Formats: sequence, C-alpha cells, structure tokens
Amino acid sequence: MPRHRTTGFCASAAALALCAVLAGCGGSGESAGGGKVVLRYTWWGNPDRAERTEQAVALFEKQHPDVDVTTSFSGYDAYKQKLATQAAGGDAPDVMQLDYRQIDQYASGGVLLDLAKQKSVLRTSEIDQGLLATGRVDDVQYAIPQGRGTETVAYDVGTWKKSGVPLPGKSWTWSQWADTMRALAKKTGKPGATDPGQSEDAFEVWLRGQGKTLYTEDGGLGFTADDLTRWWTFTDKLRREGAVSPAEQTTQLDGSVENTPLGRGTSVTDANWDAPASGFLALVKGGVALAPMPSGEDGTPGQYFKPSMFVGVSANTAHPKEAAQLVDFLINDRQAAKILGASRGIPVNETIRAEIGPQLKDFDKTIADFQASLEGKLKDPPQAPPAGDNALQSTFQRDYDQVSYERMSPREAAENYITEAKAELRS
Amino acid sequence: MTTTAIPTETKRVPAAAPKRRPKREREGAAWVFLSPWVLGAIVLTLLPMAVSLYLSFTDYDLFNPPKWVGLRNYVQMFTEDPRYWRSVVTTVTYVVIAVPLQLALALVVALALKGMKRGKAFYRSAFYAPSLLGASMSIALVWRAVFNDGGTVDNLLGTGGWVNKPGWSLLAVALLTVWQFGAPMVIFLAGLQQIPAELYEAAAVDGAGKWRQFLSVTVPMLSPVLFFNLVLQTIQAFQVFTPAFAVSAGKGGPADSTLVYTMYLYDRGFVASHMGYASAMAWVLLLVIGVVTAVLFRTSRSWVFYASEGDR
Repeated sequence: MPRHRTTGFCASAAALALCAVLAGCGGSGESAGGGKVVLRYTWWGNPDRAERTEQAVALFEKQHPDVDVTTSFSGYDAYKQKLATQAAGGDAPDVMQLDYRQIDQYASGGVLLDLAKQKSVLRTSEIDQGLLATGRVDDVQYAIPQGRGTETVAYDVGTWKKSGVPLPGKSWTWSQWADTMRALAKKTGKPGATDPGQSEDAFEVWLRGQGKTLYTEDGGLGFTADDLTRWWTFTDKLRREGAVSPAEQTTQLDGSVENTPLGRGTSVTDANWDAPASGFLALVKGGVALAPMPSGEDGTPGQYFKPSMFVGVSANTAHPKEAAQLVDFLINDRQAAKILGASRGIPVNETIRAEIGPQLKDFDKTIADFQASLEGKLKDPPQAPPAGDNALQSTFQRDYDQVSYERMSPREAAENYITEAKAELRS
Repeated sequence: MTTTAIPTETKRVPAAAPKRRPKREREGAAWVFLSPWVLGAIVLTLLPMAVSLYLSFTDYDLFNPPKWVGLRNYVQMFTEDPRYWRSVVTTVTYVVIAVPLQLALALVVALALKGMKRGKAFYRSAFYAPSLLGASMSIALVWRAVFNDGGTVDNLLGTGGWVNKPGWSLLAVALLTVWQFGAPMVIFLAGLQQIPAELYEAAAVDGAGKWRQFLSVTVPMLSPVLFFNLVLQTIQAFQVFTPAFAVSAGKGGPADSTLVYTMYLYDRGFVASHMGYASAMAWVLLLVIGVVTAVLFRTSRSWVFYASEGDR
C-alpha cells in the first residue's frame, strides 16, 4: 500500500470516529417533525386514563398546530424508575406527571422548571390555593397539582350482594372491617380483601386512626417497631384465617389494578386510590362501588384528601413556553376537563370543578360522590413525605413478604423495617 | 469444520504480505485499526469504572452532587444491611445450582452430537438457538408466564406457579440460564473433536468399555475445555440479572428469593437512588469474582490436564 493512501485512510478513519462522537452529542433538544415543536409528555396510570389523556392531547395539538406531543405511559412502579434514570441523565421529559413523594427530590435536584416564569401562559388563579401550595418547594412553584384523591375500599358489587353480607355503610372501624372480610370470605369462598399488610398507604391510614403519623415533622419515623408489629400481627392473622389474600397473590402486586386480587377476580375488595379504581370497571363484571377506608376504633378517620398527582416541566426543556401551555391546557381548559373527567382525581380548578361536577357521569360521578360524602369529615393531610419514602414504599412491601410467606415473625420483620427506614432517612 | 479452516487462512496472510515496513509505522497502523476498540474501552469501560470507584465512597442520589462519605457504604453493607447478605446467599445458591447443571447438560448434548452421523449441523443450531433467544426480554417474560399461576408448569405438575413460591422461584430463574447451554456446548463439541481417535482405539484394544473410555480418555483430554467453560460460566453466573429481573417482574420476589446480587444492586441504585451504595456493591462483586476465579485457577493445577504437558 503506497504511503499517501495510508495517510488518507488514517484521516478518514479519524473523521469517521469524530462523526460518531458528534452524532452522539448532537440532536438533543432539537425539534424534529417538519419544523414543529416536539414535546415529550409522560405519565403513569391505567388504560382508561391513557385513552382519555391521548384524546385530550389530540385536542391540544389541534389547538396548537405547531406543537407535536409524543406521549408514553406505564404502571407506577416502572414509571418512577424510568423517570429517575431519565432525570439523572438530564433527559427528563418536557412535561411529566409526578407523585407527592417525588416533588421534594426532583425540585431540590434541579430537575424541575420554576413555573412562575411561565405565568403568562400558565394560569393558577382558579386553583384551590391550599392545594396549589403542595406543589411548592422553598416557595417556588415547581409543580401543579392535577387532581384531588383519597383512598377507598373498592368492591365488587355483584359478588358482595350475592354473598348476603350487608353492604358497607358510611363508616366502619378496622375491627368491623375485619369481621366483614371474614364474613365475605366465609360466604364467597374467596378472600374478602387484598392483604393490606403490604401497603404503606393502608398502614398510614391505620396509624392516623390512632392519632399517630407515618413521619414526624422533621422527616423522621412517626411510629415505633411496636406499632408496626401490631399492624402486621393484625393482618397476618387475617391472612392465616383466609380473610385476606394469600402471599402468592399479594406478592404479585405492582401498582396496576390488573395485578390486584380484585382485578384477577380472586377477592371481593381492594384498598386503592379512588381515581385509579376506575380501572376495575373493565375487570370486574359485577360492577364496582367505593366505600371509605376503615377508621380507628373511636371513629377517628385515617384517610385524607391529598393531591393525587402533579404535573411539572423539565428544567432542561427546549420549549418552556409550549410545555407550560400544555400544562395550562391540562389544568384549565374546559374541553380538556370534560375529556379527562376524574381520571386523575377531582379537578383542582375550582371553576371547572363547579361547572363540570354535576355533569360527571359513570365512574367519575362515583368518585365525585364518594369524595363529597367525606367532605368536612377528614383531618388535614400530612406534609409531603421525606425523599427516602420513595424507596421505603417498596421496602415496606418486601419486608411484609417475609411475614406473609411465614419466613419471619411480624416482630422480626418490623424491626428489620425500622432499621432500614432509619438508614434510608438518615442519608 | 470452520475451526480447522482458520489456521490455514492465518498462515497464508503473512506469506502474501508485501515487504515489511519499519516497525514504528506498523505500530501506528495497528493503533488506527484498534482505535474503535480502544476508544470504546476507555470511554465506555475504563472511565465509568473510575467514576464508579469514586462514587462508591460517596452518597449520591442522582439529583444532587455526590457527597464524600469515606468507607460508610462499605461499612453499612457488611454490618447493617440484612438484605445485602440475603442477596449474597441467593447469588451463591444460584451459582451452585445453575453452573453445574448447565455444564452437565452442555456436555451430555455435545457427546450425543459428536457421535451423530447425519443432521449434526441442524441439531447443533437447534440446541444453540436458546442462547441467542434467551438473552431477550420477551423469552424471559414467556418464562415467567410458563412458571406463573395457571401457566404450563402449574397445569402439568399441579404445583402452582413456581414464580410465586419462595422455595421454587430461584430454580425457575436457574432453569432459564441452564436452558441457554448453547455456548458451552459448542465449545465442548469443538474440544471433543480435538481428541485423537487413536486414544479411543488404544483404550478399546486394552478392553476399556464406553464408560471407562469416557472417564479415562474424554474427561482428562477435555479438562482444559471444561475448565475454560467453568470459569466463564461462573463469572457470568455471579453477574446474572436479566432472568432474575424478568422472572420476578423486576422485584426479586417473592420474599427476596430471587433477589440476586445484581438485582439488589439495581434496586439500591435505580429504585432507592443510592448510586454510591450501588457502586460500592459493584466493586465488592468485582473483587469477589476475581477471588473466585483465582481460586478456580489454583485448584485447576490438580485436575486440568494439558496434552502438551503429557508430551514433555
């Protein structure tokens, strides 16, 4: 090979290598699709929410012909892992749905845009001020609440009625609830409920019914190993009696309604948040109705209203204005509100809530009526949980697995959890 | 066989090459040809490794800058984390089940294929196929369905879904690995074909039966290949992730029974956002694999037989 050809080869090889590097760097933040602005919007939820969100997004694209919105959604567990990885890589979606548990971490990590900067296109005046404040961290509005939710006992109306056990009333205590689950199990031959032992949310309701809290104001644990031992002893006994789901069923929970025992048709009820409970409609033939969560033995309610989810904008977005417009549309647009209904909880825009409220139908109405029945009865929500809670939620479920598979006593598992929680909250 | 074709080819190349250029220039050309690999190794392997070593001494949640914490991650891992030790036990159990099973199966199939007169190429490809498919997520999901409640295994054996039973779930994961025995099988097959036929003839003349021939000819002659496969598969088994992740639906359950080391590492890093802790775990794993490999090499002196040594 003559020498000049070698040099030429070297040069072209180097050029090729550089191209590869440049290709890797270019492209981010650029808009594709024929000069249109492209926004990425992601959320978690059930197929019902997905369908309605797609419809609303299509309407937004019609109103803003220069904007193209690409969407994606998944179950909550998968969503939060993916979002964390994307956010860490500086590649968070332009518009993202966020949970109460994520706000603190994402805001302090510089992932979210200060929405006050987009005031001109993002109106917040009609949002319940108390609720709006839950999206602030250090007095900066990083996220807008998208709906109001509360926990509920969703039940299979057909199966329950057939069993002859009296339907749930306006309130019940945990021991009345337990007796009812036993009765349902006896009459129907299947467990009354999903084993609530795995759920940090259910545990919080139980704690609050006794005047305690999950976390203290300074972000420490608000309960002791004794409290958790009592809770897990209570649920462990119910599981052994067959009143709540067996370990093999409970372990398959992943945040989607499809994988709950109620969704699979192997139990009569499931404790869940009210908005996602709409997903049961497609799965449960006998119809779905909502009952309140059990209260403390003296009637102290444990459940509370909280912002069911938030929507925020990435600090790295190339199109902050269009992203804010999409947020504004999701929160304040009347037509969008009609399409979305209560799929993310009852709307936070008060004008829309008053206007749309009476027109809600089907399961949206069920949710609205359920929330109305609790209005004024519930205690104030706790403050936003500390950042470590995000991981502790799954730790809680795993430690309970050890109890339900009878590998540890409730006491051992509870002490394990306290150790892990303290390490988690310390860092 | 393609394996025998390769040496003749490499022999021809230097013969056909033009007269040699000065050494330095040839080295330059070598670096140019190596550059894609070298760049890749530096940017995608060495640099991240260095970063991960640094991160292992920090508290890093992905969002805020890393905070230096010295050895705290390591101390916490060894003294305050019961789940860490459970993942270690699970991983060792997995290695002890999966590696011997996989190698035994690979060897049995290779022996069967070796004696085949017709259709060898077809069966070799057919048995190799799972190794190509097995790495994909879709197969792992099918695996989960097969071993789930109401799945094939449940219907055939009536045992319920293995993936929801802590005593059985790890076996379901191991079987997915064992099923992908194609790579060691092909290596075994190549090794078997290298054993001179005279040895078997001589053994037969001495009155050795099939079993005796296997123990006294095949096993010692194959021991270098066996050793190679053992080391490779052991290293891979310690790092198992995808099958455990998919079969347990990403949770390492039930009751942490499939929470192998890398699953827990992933959990700490990406679910709990403790990248520092996860990095420390990764470095401990690297050291452990290094030690295990060294031990295997040490023991190999007493059982691996190299034919060239025999000649000496």
